[in-house]
Amino acid sequence: MRIVIIGGGIAGAHAANTIMEREKGHEVVILSAERYPPYDRIHLCRLVDGSAALEDILLELHPDVNVELNQRVLSIEPEEKKVVTENALFGYDKLIIATGSKPKTLFDIGGIENAATFRSADDSFKIAKGIKGRNVIISGVGPIGLELLDTLVKMPDPKRMFLLSRGAHLYDRALNPMAVAWISEIFEADPRVTISYHDEIVERKIEGNRLATIVTKHHTIDDPFLIFGVGITPNVDFARGVLEVDRGILVDETMRTSDPDIYAVGEAAQLRSDGFVAGRVRESTQEADVAVANILGIESERFEHEPAIDGLKVGAFLFTDVSSPKYDPRDPENEDIIIESRKEKRVDQYIVNDDRLRRFIGLNSNVDVMELKRIMEKDEPVDPTFFYHSRKVGERGRLVCSCTGTYEFDLVELIKENAVTRFAELKGLTEAGRVCGRCKQDIVDLIAKTPVDPEEAARIRAEKEAAREAAEMEKIRKRIEKFNRLHPKNRITTENLEEAIKALDMNREYNRWVSMITASMRLSPRHEELVDQAIRQLNKIPIVWLELADCTGNSTAFIKTAQPKITDLILNYISLDYHDLLMAAAGDQSERTLDSIVENEKEGFVLIVEGAVPLGMEGKYLRIGPKGETGIELLKRVAGSAAAVLAVGTCALDGGVVAAEPNPTGAVGVSEALERDDVIHLPGCPVNPANVVGTLIYYIMFDEIPELDEKRRPKWAYSYRIHDNCERRGHYDLEEFVLEWGDEGAKQGWCLFKMGCKGPYADLNCPQVKFNEGTSWPVQAGHGCIACGEGKIAFDLYANERPLEEEAENE
Amino acid sequence: MSNGRLKKIVIDPITRIEGHLRIEIEIDEENVVREAWASGQLFRGIEVILKGRDPRDVGLIAQRICGVCTNVHYRASIAAVEDAYGIVPPPNAEIIRNLVTLSLFVQDHIIHFYHLHSLDYVDIVSALEADVAKAEEVAKRYHSYPYRSSVGHFSSLKEKLASFVKAGRLGLFANGYWGHDAYRLTPEENLVLINHYFEALRVQRVLSKAVAIFAGKTPHPQNLVVGGVTSVADMLNPQRLNDYMFIMKDTRDFIERAYIPDMQLLVEAYNQEMKEGVGRGSGNFMAAGGYRLASGTVLFENGVIYRHDFEHIESFDDDHITEEASRSWYEENGPTSPYDESTVPFYTDLNDDGSLKTEGKYSWVKAPRYKNEPMEVGPAARMIIGYLKDSTIIKPAVEAFMEETGMELIDFSSTIGRNAARAVEAKICCETIFDFCSDLIENIKYYDEETWTKYEFETLPKSAQGRGIHEVPRGVLAHFVKIEESRVCNYQAVVPTTWNASPKDAKGIRGPYEESLIGIHLADPTKPLEVLRVVHSFDPCLACAVHIVDTKGRKVSEYRVATACSL
Repeated sequence: MRIVIIGGGIAGAHAANTIMEREKGHEVVILSAERYPPYDRIHLCRLVDGSAALEDILLELHPDVNVELNQRVLSIEPEEKKVVTENALFGYDKLIIATGSKPKTLFDIGGIENAATFRSADDSFKIAKGIKGRNVIISGVGPIGLELLDTLVKMPDPKRMFLLSRGAHLYDRALNPMAVAWISEIFEADPRVTISYHDEIVERKIEGNRLATIVTKHHTIDDPFLIFGVGITPNVDFARGVLEVDRGILVDETMRTSDPDIYAVGEAAQLRSDGFVAGRVRESTQEADVAVANILGIESERFEHEPAIDGLKVGAFLFTDVSSPKYDPRDPENEDIIIESRKEKRVDQYIVNDDRLRRFIGLNSNVDVMELKRIMEKDEPVDPTFFYHSRKVGERGRLVCSCTGTYEFDLVELIKENAVTRFAELKGLTEAGRVCGRCKQDIVDLIAKTPVDPEEAARIRAEKEAAREAAEMEKIRKRIEKFNRLHPKNRITTENLEEAIKALDMNREYNRWVSMITASMRLSPRHEELVDQAIRQLNKIPIVWLELADCTGNSTAFIKTAQPKITDLILNYISLDYHDLLMAAAGDQSERTLDSIVENEKEGFVLIVEGAVPLGMEGKYLRIGPKGETGIELLKRVAGSAAAVLAVGTCALDGGVVAAEPNPTGAVGVSEALERDDVIHLPGCPVNPANVVGTLIYYIMFDEIPELDEKRRPKWAYSYRIHDNCERRGHYDLEEFVLEWGDEGAKQGWCLFKMGCKGPYADLNCPQVKFNEGTSWPVQAGHGCIACGEGKIAFDLYANERPLEEEAENE
Repeated sequence: MSNGRLKKIVIDPITRIEGHLRIEIEIDEENVVREAWASGQLFRGIEVILKGRDPRDVGLIAQRICGVCTNVHYRASIAAVEDAYGIVPPPNAEIIRNLVTLSLFVQDHIIHFYHLHSLDYVDIVSALEADVAKAEEVAKRYHSYPYRSSVGHFSSLKEKLASFVKAGRLGLFANGYWGHDAYRLTPEENLVLINHYFEALRVQRVLSKAVAIFAGKTPHPQNLVVGGVTSVADMLNPQRLNDYMFIMKDTRDFIERAYIPDMQLLVEAYNQEMKEGVGRGSGNFMAAGGYRLASGTVLFENGVIYRHDFEHIESFDDDHITEEASRSWYEENGPTSPYDESTVPFYTDLNDDGSLKTEGKYSWVKAPRYKNEPMEVGPAARMIIGYLKDSTIIKPAVEAFMEETGMELIDFSSTIGRNAARAVEAKICCETIFDFCSDLIENIKYYDEETWTKYEFETLPKSAQGRGIHEVPRGVLAHFVKIEESRVCNYQAVVPTTWNASPKDAKGIRGPYEESLIGIHLADPTKPLEVLRVVHSFDPCLACAVHIVDTKGRKVSEYRVATACSL
């Protein structure tokens, strides 16, 4: 595929690199209007003060990307799939427009020698050359204007500097006056600087190609050099009339324009849904990622807003700015909470709305901004006292790189540990400074001021490695202890740890499962060799599965487990030593197996119980085995030796349907029958096998039961209310209800609440995991939930197809 | 019958079935079974629980009668209420119900043969000695492209099993009757079958996805309501139907290249026993028929046969069904019509040594009778009756299988024969599913999207009675409901296993399990493998079979659904 990218800025370059990384075999061409290869605009100030040459700020580009310079695009012809530039034609299969913005000016400065915008390398060169001995006027007080002023005050070249603010603000209208005053103060400490508020240019005298005098409301400035920093506008004129364009080129959430083969990203693109135009590097690269993913068909990613983090260093001030996508500067309901320390010249300004944090602007702030970002993402009401308590520097220091979330402390550690002396040496250790590049200089400075000693570095590394190994060994020891407890006949010695580790190393296969219940847990990092077959076989957990007053539904569900597959499960991971439905043995033979486990493997097996326990008629409604043992007798005998008891299905919870009114057999759940409070409950009718397997795996992995709720159900599966996670919840919120089976709403998949869905009364993970390998679940099948996991109440109260209120009215 | 030289053997639990079943037998000095008792050992009283409920709610509770035959009780229960009220669900709803039930037929049959039954014939330990190259040849004897049966596949399976066995913990396979004299297969044949045991674990798992597509989940689907089905969105989504059909196509492949060939292998290996009629019952067969296609063809024919008299077939009429309990643990002995049964548990306990009191009442299973005769129900009955009634669907399939194996019709009335009938039935069901899919597509094509027949519950009659009778994997299932004051006043389920696991009746006539056990020879009475084979060939499902009853002294009218909860 031939992919043409218009624009050599960061979005374009990022898109080109991403294509190359993700899929080989595409031809990628960047068309740049400039005469320089793509460079990083973030560092333009360094071209002004001469601390860097253009080569130093070039963007890294994949070597196979073709860059065509001096190609100002005149138009695009979607019919022909061609791009027309001033001097060539380029055919494409897919086109990405990343033309960025052009700077605004208050009047035309074309051809004028002593006026400039501040957007490109050429602008920087012009400024550097033109300001010598002149009175510099910067019109615009946004971040760009402030950053430029900050650069200029460090240079001897300007004679005087005027910064014009049309209002009383600096940086952003939202910034609080105290911060503005402090910033003013620090700049004006240089006698050359004048910050003029409520001021603007009212008159200009032009002589030839030169501005001779600029008159503002308050000042008359001769021999000026004027720099406009008054904002930008998307650079999209060439696309008007061809694509749908508003302020920017309109795109959907996949960054696709009105033409299916043309995408737009970065500052040139405007989201159709909410009018959003990217302004920050991270937003632009995110958009580029989305466009590339969709072009390559790798996945259909969508652009999603996330809180944006910005930083700016101005003189003695370090700005930190975190902004929620929900922030609306014009919303009159916005309120400021300001915590300022005069002593530390520190301002934490929180902008809240409806108790939610919408924006944070910090001046020399110590707040952990990643935490603020998380708060904004959660979008929950915040307690202002939290702001006060978190005003001091966290133990990891300030956030240096907001793209990767890397803190100063982490970086210093890395620098010391690896004796880093140059930025390049950090490659491979951290991505900090390499994503948007804004903090690169910051990190370079950090490297410079962090003394390193190669010997000390080696020592730190060795120490860390040793600590990690000791922790590892401790885990392994525990694991061996557990293994020996579960397998009294096949003990592993702790004396030869190396061998033992090998024997126990099952990471490869376990990891697949563990990801299901927890992020990941690695037991031993040294899994070079494949696991020893025989010992692996022994490293299984014996399971006894008893069926009492049941319907075998939970067993039937269990053999349909897909993660892991039942075959793997019974051959490799658990030893299903007694299971009525599947076991080969019967009668005397099967009961001998059971007796032997109960007698010889005390505390060495897990007991799973399915079904209710009938207690009526002395338990004789259920008899098992050649001696006619009652269900309750058998349960007590086996449970007494088990290491853990899992009650699966709703019947085992509290009798379930068997104990529904009028409970003819006096059935109860396993806990009640055993009079024990340490039984783990996994209700559901039947229980989702994913929840049984997950709990077993958790037990095997961690040698302990997962965290339980008050009904002793594992929280990881039972702490979600079905209604909250239901795929039809949106229809509930919109009050779109199915009112009759098979009606139009039913065909559209509307909410089933009025058809008696009991999702609001049930805590289970059905909507997330679904059944039969995620194929469906009752709500998807249009029936609604009956809250089958809530116990026998489900069958007395919930298992009907009317809402509860209606039923109550009828009675 | 009692004889000092006879020896009593108790087999409890019978595993690899649903539920709690005990078999007791008496054998003579030659180790031949002279008498047998089948006993259900669990009583839950689901029907009691159903009394007093709103008739629209019974389906979800009745479904919980069984988690293996899941769906069929749901369906029969809803159908019984529909029958009582004269509500006829729209054609699409009937087709969706059929698609779910028939895919369950296929799934049940596959699980039954491979996972619940095959270990009675397959010696997993012997499979370890198999020569993999020979095993491939064996597999090719029964199909030119046998299912996943290459040398490479066999080698890797053998390796897996070997390491499993070497490890010492046999898990599910511990304490089987390995090495028993009655195991007849060669190591290679054992490997061929055990291979498909594991493949079938996957097939049944995938099949359950097909069920879930229209039923929400399985076990215990949730897509039926009185008047129709709820999964209209799935029905109208072509992708769902497509997924369903693709799974069924893959399953058909498994049936044709694994299940049927494996059954041919088994019939060949155990031909002698089959021809001798080992496991043959009294020869009474019954089928209710059903599953009508738009063309008018029915999948299953109805009919009743007595004592292997293949010349005469009666039409089935559910009015002739009665249940009695003279040997079951209930107070009233009967016989009574299912609508009017109002029985009370009367538990006479076991002997002190834990054995059955075989002279008196000995099971929670009742004894259903058709014109006072016990009846065998299930695939063998359906295949025999379908064949004799010249079914255009069943007869060609049965004939083809008989031709391949040299079986005769009478041979289906035996332990091996029941399994052969089940395999042929799986194939037929799987194929007929595609015809139902075509019917559905045809309806939707002409804008028939109806899935529910409207009714106003308040205007329905306050008193009514009805029944839902269906062929389900294990045989004829009948639910009977009686409604008074718009509430269920009596509920009975006469299920396939009630027929097959029936105890004796007042006249001492044995139920089908019992009758089929008479005359069986045991090679080793301490390892009664032959008994398991006979009982398993019926595919027992005990949770279904035991139900019934009103607890003593309780007035139904006092019962009402609790609703005061302020949730």
